[in-house]
Amino acid sequence: MYGLVALGYHITWATSRTMNFSQGHAVMVGAVVAYAVFVGLGWPFPLALVLTLVALAGFGALVERVAVRPFFLRASPAWLLATIAVGIIAENVAQLTFGKDARAFPSPLMRKPIILGSAGFYPQELLVPVVGLLLMGLVQLFYHRTAYGKQLKAVAWNPEAAGLMGINIPRAVMASYALSALLAGVAGVLLAPLLNVSPQMGTIIGLKAFAVAIIGGLSSAPGIVVAGLGYGLVESFTAGYVSTRAREIVGFGLVILVLVVRPWGLLGEKPSRRV
Amino acid sequence: MTDRLGWAALAIAAALIPFFTSNTYYLYVVISVGLLTIVTAGLNVLVGFTGQTSLGHAGLYAFGAYTAALCVTRAGTSEGVAIAAAVVVTSMVGAAVAAAALRVSGPYLAMVTIAFGLIVEGVLIEWGSLTGGPGGIFNIPKPGLRTHYWTVMLTAALALWLTANLRRSAWGRACLAVKSSEVAAESLGLSAYYVRIAAFTVSAAFAGAAGALFTFLNGYISPDSFTLQTSILFLLALLFGGLGRIAGPVAGSVALTILPELLTRLLDYRLILYGSLLLLSIYWLPEGVVGAVSRARRSRPASLEFSLSPVGRGQGEGSEPLLVASEVNLSFGGVMALAGVTLAVNRQRIHAVIGPNGAGKTSLLNVLSGFYAPGRGTIMLDGQSIAGVPPYAVARRGIARTFQTAQVFGDLSVRDNVAVGVAGPRLGSPLSALLATPGSRAREAALQSRALVLLHALGLAELTDEPADSLAAGLRRKLEIARALATEPLLLMLDEPAAGLSPAEIAALDAQLTTLRGRGGPAVILVEHHMDLVMAVSDRITVLDYGRVIAEGGPAEIRQNPAVIEAYLGVTT
Repeated sequence: MYGLVALGYHITWATSRTMNFSQGHAVMVGAVVAYAVFVGLGWPFPLALVLTLVALAGFGALVERVAVRPFFLRASPAWLLATIAVGIIAENVAQLTFGKDARAFPSPLMRKPIILGSAGFYPQELLVPVVGLLLMGLVQLFYHRTAYGKQLKAVAWNPEAAGLMGINIPRAVMASYALSALLAGVAGVLLAPLLNVSPQMGTIIGLKAFAVAIIGGLSSAPGIVVAGLGYGLVESFTAGYVSTRAREIVGFGLVILVLVVRPWGLLGEKPSRRV
Repeated sequence: MTDRLGWAALAIAAALIPFFTSNTYYLYVVISVGLLTIVTAGLNVLVGFTGQTSLGHAGLYAFGAYTAALCVTRAGTSEGVAIAAAVVVTSMVGAAVAAAALRVSGPYLAMVTIAFGLIVEGVLIEWGSLTGGPGGIFNIPKPGLRTHYWTVMLTAALALWLTANLRRSAWGRACLAVKSSEVAAESLGLSAYYVRIAAFTVSAAFAGAAGALFTFLNGYISPDSFTLQTSILFLLALLFGGLGRIAGPVAGSVALTILPELLTRLLDYRLILYGSLLLLSIYWLPEGVVGAVSRARRSRPASLEFSLSPVGRGQGEGSEPLLVASEVNLSFGGVMALAGVTLAVNRQRIHAVIGPNGAGKTSLLNVLSGFYAPGRGTIMLDGQSIAGVPPYAVARRGIARTFQTAQVFGDLSVRDNVAVGVAGPRLGSPLSALLATPGSRAREAALQSRALVLLHALGLAELTDEPADSLAAGLRRKLEIARALATEPLLLMLDEPAAGLSPAEIAALDAQLTTLRGRGGPAVILVEHHMDLVMAVSDRITVLDYGRVIAEGGPAEIRQNPAVIEAYLGVTT
C-alpha cells in the first residue's frame, strides 16, 4: 500500500528530478474529497471516484505551478521546502473545512473479513496491493512504450536537449505532477476505508511512502513496489511481535541502513558522477 | 560600522528587557527567541554555509534536552555540567548521524534526517524507563527565570559570535566552496564529505546546547516538543531570517516566536500561516529578511605593496618524468573513452593534449585528477600511484586543475576563492576557527596575504572583493587558474582555458603560461583547441583520437604528422 503512494514520488522524480514532499497530503486530499462527495453529498461511487481523480490531478498541477516550477533546475532545496509548505497549508485547509476528527469511510469490501487459517483480512486489504501492481504495470508501460512517456523520461535526462527537441518542459513536468497526485488520489480512496479519513492522515503515509521510494530506488518503479510490499511485511511483523511504536523505529532504521549500504536504493540505478 | 551598531543595539535591548518588565510571560517569550536563535545559528552553518538540508534537528535538540534532564535528575550534577554533557553527547550523536547520512545528499539526505528525527521521537516514547515515555520527565530542578534569561541570552550571543568567526575562517570558506561546487572544492584538496560532517557536528552541538537550556526553562520535557514539525519550524525560522547571514537566525527567531504569540486567536490558522510564510520566504526572500534589508557594503582592502614571490612549491629534483600514465583504459557502459592511453609529463614543462571533440581529452583529465577511476592501467605521480585515489587526495599530492566550464565559488569573493586554494585541506581545527583563537587569526592573515599576492601576480587585484559569480567568463577562467596555482601544485591541468576568450585575452594567457614556466612553476597539461596557443607554448604534444594516442612529439613534429593532419588539424598553409 505504501508502494502505491511511493510510485508518485517515482513519477515526478523520473521526469524532473524533483518531487512532491507532500505526497502524503495529496493522499489525504484524495480521501477527504472522496469522503465529501461520496458520503457528504451522497453521489454514486463511480462518479465520486472520477471527480476525486480529476480534483487530484488539478491539485498536482497546482503544486507544480506554485511550489516546483519557480525552482525547477535550480540546485537548491527550495522545491523541497515549498512542497512541504503547500502540504502544510493543505492540511490546515482540510482541518478548517472537514474538521479535525477522523471519520469512517464505508466500503462494501470492509463488511466481511475473509478467514484464512488463524488470520483474517478484509477484501479491501487485498484490493490495495492488486491495484498497486496494476498501476505500476501501467506506469511502466507508459514510460517505456508510449511516445509521451519517453518524452517525460527525456526531460529528466537532459532538460535542455529535450526542450530543443520541441518538448514543452513545463507542461511535461506539470503532467507528471498531475499523474503523481492522481495516483495519490487512488491511494486515498483505497485507504480511506482502512484507515479512517482525517486531515492528519497525510504526514505519516507520505513519510513511509517516501521511505519506501528511497529503499526501492527512486529511479525504479518495480523496486518501489517490491520495497512497498517488503516494508509492509516488516512493519506488521514488528507491530505483531514487538510493539506498534517499534514499528516506526524499525522501519525508519531500515531506511538509514539501506541508504548507508546502497545509497541509490535496492533496485535503483547507480547514478554516475558528472564532472 | 553600521553592523556593529546594530549588534550593540540588539545586545543593549536584550540586556535592558529584564529591568523594564517583571512580567514573566515576556521574559519567557524572549528566552524562547534566544533558544531558537541558538538552534538556527547552528543550522545556519549546515544549511546556509554548507548547503545541506536537515529535517531532523529536533532529534538533536531532544538529545540535548534529555541528556541534560537525566544528568540532573539521575546523576545529580549541576546545571553547568549538565549543559556541557548535553553539548558533548549531542555533538557525538551528530557526528555519527552525519557520517552515515552525508553519504547521500539532496532529497535522500532529507529522508535520512527525517528518519533520524522520527526514530529519536519513537525511542523517547518507547523507552519509558529512561525517558519517562510519552509523559516525559518532570520536576527537573530549574534556575530562576531571570538567571536563566541571562544564561540563554549570553549563550545566544556566543552562538552568533562563534558562527561569525567560523564564517570568516578557512573553515567557513571551505563550507561555502563545497556548497557552490563540490567538484571544484575536491580538486583543491578538500574532502566534501569531511567538511559536511564537521558542519553537521557543529550544528548538532548548537542544537544540543539549546536543548539543554530548554530543559532548564520549563523544568519539564516530553516527546511532544521534538516532532518533525519542530524540525520544520527550525528550518523555517532560518529561511525566513536569512540563509547564510549571521544575523538571519536572530531575525527569523524573533519573527517566528512572536508572530504566533500575537496571533493566538488565529490558532486554527497556524499551519496556513507557517506554510505561507515558508512559501513567501522561498519566493521573495531568498536571502531572508536580513538579506533583503542589508545593503551591499564593501570594506576596501588595505592598499599595500606586495612583492611577487615565485609561484609554486619546491618542484623536486631529477629528470624523471613527473607524471607517467600508462595503458590507461576508461569505459562508460560499452563506450571506450580511453583505450590504452600512455602519457609522460616532465617537470616544469607544458604538455598539450589535443584532438577532435570526443577524443577523450577531458576524460583523461578526469582520470588523472581522480574523478574517474581507470578501468585498467597505472598512473604514477612522482613515483607514487594515484590511480583510483579520490580527487581530494590527488589534489593533496600536488595536482591542481581547472574545468571546461569554469567552476568558481559564486558566493565567495575573488580573494576568498583563491584563499580556499591557498588553505587547501589545511583548515586547522574547527574549534579554533569557532573561537577565533590567536593562532587561527594569524593563519588567516597569512592565508589572506598569500591570496592577495597571487591576485596581484595574475592581474586580478582590482577585483579582490567582487563576488566571483559577477565575473565575466574570461575572468572566471583566470580566477580558476589563480585558485589552482594557489594550491602550489606540482602539476597544473588546464581544460580549454582559452575557450571563449578574446584574442587579447588569449595573448595574455600565452604570456602567463610562458612566464610561469620561466619562473620554475609547475608542469602543465594543457587541453586546448586554439592551435596557435598550443603551438606557441607547448614543449610536447600528445594527440588523442577515439580514446587512443595517435601521435606524440614536439610542436614541429606534430604539425607535420600525417595521421594528425588527417584526424584533426586538416591541411594548413
